[in-house]
Amino acid sequence: MSDASLLQVKNLSVSIDNELPILHKINLDIKPGETHVLMGPNGAGKSTLGYSLMGNPHYCVTEGNILFDGQDITDISADKRAKAGMFLSFQNPYEIPGISLSSFIRNSFHAQTGAPVKLMAFQKSLKAAMEVLSMDEAYADRDLNVGFSGGEKKKAEILQLLMLNPKLAILDETDSGLDVDAVRTVSKGIQEYQKKKDGALLIITHSTKILEALHVDYTHVLVKGKLVCTGDGSLVDEINANGFEKFISEAE
Amino acid sequence: MSDNKQKVVEIDRSAYEFKDIETEKDFYRMEEGLDEETVLKVSAEKNDPEWMRDFRLKCLKIYNEMEMPKWGPSIEGLDMDRITSYVRHKSEMKNSWEDVPEDIKNTFERLGIPQAERESLAGVGAQYDSELVYHNVKDEVAAQGVIYTDLESAMKTEYADMIKSHFMTLIPPTDHKFAALHGAVWSGGSFVYVPKGVKVDIPLQSYFRLNAAGAGQFEHTLIIVDEGADLHFIEGCSAPKYNVANLHAGAVELFVAKNARLRYSTIENWSKNMYNLNTKRAIIEENGVMEWVSGSFGSHTGYLYPMTILKGDHSQMEFTGITFAGKGQNLDTGAKVVHQGVGTTSVINSKSISKDGGIGTYRSSVVIQSSAKKAKASVSCDSLMVDSISRADTIPGMDIRTDDADVGHEAKIGRISDDAIFYLMSRGISEEDAKAMIVSGFANPVSKELPLEYAVEMNNLIKLEMSGH
Amino acid sequence: MNKDLNMKVNVLPVLTYGFLKVNDSTVSESDIKIDSVTTPDASKMPKGIDVKRGVDFIEAGEIFIKNKDRIMYTTGDFAGPNADTSGRNENQAIRTGMGIDVDELMISAGAKCDVYTVEENVKVSEPVIIEYKMKDGEGSISSQVIHAKKGSEISVILAYESEKEFGGFHGISTRLLAEEDAKINLYKIQMLGDKFIHFDDIGGACFKGGSINISSLELGAKKTWTGCLVNLAEKEAELTMDMGYLVRYDNFLDVNYIADQRGKNTNSVMHAKGVLMDSATKVFRGTIDFKNGSSGSAGDEQEDTLMLSPDVINRSMPVILCQEEDVDGRHGATIGQLGEDLLFYMQTRGIDEEEAKRMMIRARLDSVARTIPDKELEQRVIFYIQNII
Repeated sequence: MSDASLLQVKNLSVSIDNELPILHKINLDIKPGETHVLMGPNGAGKSTLGYSLMGNPHYCVTEGNILFDGQDITDISADKRAKAGMFLSFQNPYEIPGISLSSFIRNSFHAQTGAPVKLMAFQKSLKAAMEVLSMDEAYADRDLNVGFSGGEKKKAEILQLLMLNPKLAILDETDSGLDVDAVRTVSKGIQEYQKKKDGALLIITHSTKILEALHVDYTHVLVKGKLVCTGDGSLVDEINANGFEKFISEAE
Repeated sequence: MSDNKQKVVEIDRSAYEFKDIETEKDFYRMEEGLDEETVLKVSAEKNDPEWMRDFRLKCLKIYNEMEMPKWGPSIEGLDMDRITSYVRHKSEMKNSWEDVPEDIKNTFERLGIPQAERESLAGVGAQYDSELVYHNVKDEVAAQGVIYTDLESAMKTEYADMIKSHFMTLIPPTDHKFAALHGAVWSGGSFVYVPKGVKVDIPLQSYFRLNAAGAGQFEHTLIIVDEGADLHFIEGCSAPKYNVANLHAGAVELFVAKNARLRYSTIENWSKNMYNLNTKRAIIEENGVMEWVSGSFGSHTGYLYPMTILKGDHSQMEFTGITFAGKGQNLDTGAKVVHQGVGTTSVINSKSISKDGGIGTYRSSVVIQSSAKKAKASVSCDSLMVDSISRADTIPGMDIRTDDADVGHEAKIGRISDDAIFYLMSRGISEEDAKAMIVSGFANPVSKELPLEYAVEMNNLIKLEMSGH
Repeated sequence: MNKDLNMKVNVLPVLTYGFLKVNDSTVSESDIKIDSVTTPDASKMPKGIDVKRGVDFIEAGEIFIKNKDRIMYTTGDFAGPNADTSGRNENQAIRTGMGIDVDELMISAGAKCDVYTVEENVKVSEPVIIEYKMKDGEGSISSQVIHAKKGSEISVILAYESEKEFGGFHGISTRLLAEEDAKINLYKIQMLGDKFIHFDDIGGACFKGGSINISSLELGAKKTWTGCLVNLAEKEAELTMDMGYLVRYDNFLDVNYIADQRGKNTNSVMHAKGVLMDSATKVFRGTIDFKNGSSGSAGDEQEDTLMLSPDVINRSMPVILCQEEDVDGRHGATIGQLGEDLLFYMQTRGIDEEEAKRMMIRARLDSVARTIPDKELEQRVIFYIQNII
């Protein structure tokens, strides 16, 4: 692992539509290849952090900045962040009628690399990735997320992760609403991504099921918009045993 | 196929908007305005049979007596006294592309028309201003007995009686003022006859180009698909932009016999000074099927509602259309259907997009007459508002006169959600491309009904419109 | 006094094809007969409502004219829809669904208006009940203004009844103003005899957070015109229109409902459900009009028509006009007879076809009847429905 940071979040405060702040002075440092877990009770601001890192225009950075690969990305748009190597797996991915899953991924791939997409090679790697995720091939030709079940939507997100190969993947509640088998499949997809050298992860979750099969380097606890605690992978087990109560009282 | 559709192709409007310099020497141009003398001159130019000359004069009289429609977009900018009803190149229609005059050939080459023919069409017709300049049908199609030629030549053949007994019977001159105008000065257009049981596997195509400034185009398309036959007909339209109003008042009459099927596809990209007051109508006999695919992108003002009369029992109609109203455009489009036969079905799917102050109106009528027992009709119309300076209006009408009809209707108006744009942008797609992709997806039900090269053209047009040029 | 011209009413906000015959309707001069120009005494008048009886029609409309700039507020100055007819009713104190010809009739016939006012923050939960018991051959017109000041609430029931075989003429104009956070609930129940000619015209406006709820039941009369236009003038204003109808014999019902949405985050819901029998004719026009500035607004229009005879005529014009990007407008219509699946399901439970039809008619009408906030009247309406089917 290199010593240079991949993602640096410095004193980041965020509000929605210029109303009350949701995140307060967040600091975070992720190096290439590291796996970070962001945990916290409902409403702590976890998804807000994911959206803010990816540049959702609804979320307004009121203070601090975000550096990615040494470049200040605080004010750049989401597509440029994606091109720089960031990826966000959505908790509720959008349905886009008329655009197939495979053509969407191909368009994204083309937009990010600027290179023409070699159709045969693309289809081959898409098929391989879908196999990892036990996805029926027919989904490739279906309209993006339209009529997909909750589980299929999450798999489609991880499929995009595998196809787009970002430097940093932020996974927002990728395990929520999934049954045990689906969590295992999705987890397999994430491991596949981790295998790739230097692929970093920020996993946002409020449960721990998805972490069982993954190696975790750091765990952060977010309560009421503040990072109250950072530890190693063992913190996950502690939270598993004792819940968030201790941290909630700390935040007050 | 979908790969090509989504591919981002750089195109520029000049592909449609270039002008050809028409010289006095090569073109015959009639004086502006409309009176009996003009009509007689057109008739003489066309070497009309007597019945046609009399018909034109009758139409002129009806035109003069009829009022402008009270509904629909304003057509105040259209001054009939300044419209030239007849312009033609001083050369005869050719059957070989090499023989078409160089200047006209260049125009069509730039539009990619003969190339399209070489690739995938059974036959091509090309109309330049008021006259057909080129017509060609593939030998194997002609060998099946399929007739595809200009209406004027066909009137001098064995099909004369067939034409006389169908011409403007479906769209009578009393239908509306511009139908009467059409009857008086019509010129050019195509005649297609598909004999009993003949299935034409590849589409026939007709391309219309209105090049002269301040001119009107009044082509008449008459298609007869006989019992059990099958045809796909495609028309494309374009014109360069001038500062004066141009008028297109064509008429399309389609006769679909028992057990026959006709698909009629249109990509309309008239320039944005065009008043497109086109009338299209089809009558379907027992078990016949009519399919309309329609993309409207051009014109300043458009009135366009292809109408289907489901006369025969169990006849069917499906309409799939998209309209893109951009800056300065007022496009009033939709479909009309009349159910007469037992067990007839109609499906209307319409999409419209309004942008940069454009006005997009969906207007329709579904009439189920009391004879149409067990008729089924379903209408779905979606409008997309891209900004807050445009308009998207939905004005559907229904008149249901039988109790066992099954009628469903759904309409939605909305916008592109910010969240959907962010989702696409988070995958590296620029905001402009994200919007264009969502609009292409919205238009997909229409483009997937088109042959590949037209689907690509349509997506290019959407891309062009979305980028705001 | 009779008016010397036919009335052109229920003009569609945007004209369309003439052959559909939905652009407007005509109340013919010969149908109009006026003996009385006043509203009967209320049979129930709860405390907290100020009533001024017999006010001149024009004078009663001044409250709307005073507020015209607020009611007609729009942002921007963009092109209107194609063949816009809204200019026609510009001179009404407040625009109504049936339009200016009703105002002209009221004025020329000297109609008297009863003005009901609720003061600020006064919430009257009991309804005002006004019952018209029409005699055979009687002709009357009347008019009301209902004005709910800031934060107040008022409910009014207007019930028109006569013996089944009676005929006559009955016309009514009701104008509504709901100020900030005020709420007006209006119930209209028409149970007139088979030979009656009837019209019912409503115009209204809601200021910020104000709401107007209208429930109406059209159950009798030979010819009925009803129109309603409500301006949702300011943000978070709301309108619900819930209509149930039953048209029999060769009777005729003509409707023009318009939600004019101008403020931000306004909401309109328009539901019309009913039954056509014998050789009845019904025309339903429902328009949701999102004006520029109405961002965040929603409008929903649903029509459900049960056709129980091969000779009925059912015309529908569900219009959405839209000049704002961030709105959610939708309409849906289902028109047809009783579904075969539903019928089969009911038959397996031992219900025959006739009874199944009766149940489905009742289902459509009772749901509106049950909203009437007066037990006695509610029962009377349900009984009336049971009697005729």
